[in-house]
Amino acid sequence: MNHLTPLFALLFQEASNDRLSNAIEGVKHPDLSKFLVIAAILFIIGVAGVLTRRNLLVIFMSIELILNAANLNFIAFSRYLQETGTGNPMAGQVFTVFIIVVAAAEAAIGLGIVIALYRNRETIWIDEIDLMKW
Amino acid sequence: MILSGWETVFFWIFSIAAILAGLLTVMARNAVHSALFLISSLVSVGALFILLGAEFIAGVQILVYVGGVMVLFLFVIMLVNVGAEEEGRAPIFNRPPQVAAALIFSLLLVLALLTAINKGYAGLKDRDAAALKQAAATRSDQEAKMQTAATGVSRLSTQTESVGNSLFTSYSLPFEIASVLLLVAIIGSVMLARTLKQEAAVDDVDPDMLQTAAAVESLEAGAGE
Repeated sequence: MNHLTPLFALLFQEASNDRLSNAIEGVKHPDLSKFLVIAAILFIIGVAGVLTRRNLLVIFMSIELILNAANLNFIAFSRYLQETGTGNPMAGQVFTVFIIVVAAAEAAIGLGIVIALYRNRETIWIDEIDLMKW
Repeated sequence: MILSGWETVFFWIFSIAAILAGLLTVMARNAVHSALFLISSLVSVGALFILLGAEFIAGVQILVYVGGVMVLFLFVIMLVNVGAEEEGRAPIFNRPPQVAAALIFSLLLVLALLTAINKGYAGLKDRDAAALKQAAATRSDQEAKMQTAATGVSRLSTQTESVGNSLFTSYSLPFEIASVLLLVAIIGSVMLARTLKQEAAVDDVDPDMLQTAAAVESLEAGAGE
């Protein structure tokens, strides 16, 4: 629990020097776990955006955030495997290229759907697009 | 892959910028502001890719993602959203209980992911402890062997060559399938965005549909008067 360690150290004041110095070391020399945490936070922001916004285009943009978080994860592990692992380290970067390709195709088709929807309903507020709602 | 020195500074700058821009994307009132914040987030993530040694992927991200997909988004936002904004629908988020539930869920997810990542990484570090200690030394050895750039200061990276090798040898079938996917996306998006008049001009529409559309138009014209 690297990130809550200073807080715990302050609260409990037990062996605080060791864990605090570990935490500061983690901040001065970030490694794989920091990248994974950044990607996780971006992912969660994207999911929150998809769940709460009402503008269809902002929902699409939150989906792009989610895909980017996954890309960051892949590239971080690719670099980690280049230095320490067995197996194919380039797989992460190749898969990232494919994710970007799929995101571009999905954005094109999704925006085509948005345009067709706007032509018929004059709205992009998802609360008003409720024809199929029970 | 432990960063140090200036790389650490840039890592923190770009990761905080990416997270802040992502937050503002989700929270901005105007859709154009959301798009611009998303562009900032994507560029920051591209910079993080460069820090991780994936320069080609960073270039692809900027060129394709920011330069293609986000510009397309901006076109469609201008086409579609400006009218919607003018009608003055003030609340941008869904109902408050839903927003609160989403926030609590997100917070729990953040805590769970932080715990899982740190525990998992501790295990990974134990397994790869020897390799990690060697990592910095092997990386500087490899960099010393790389070709020097014309300026004489930096080295030419071989990441593009490695990605190209993998993409065209081990992963050539997914590569070809991705090109078919792009073809399908092009055809689909052209077909989706055609108006009825354009389809009628190339004889691509059912005659019944034409009659229905003409009837609807005359009704609307009558109601407008």
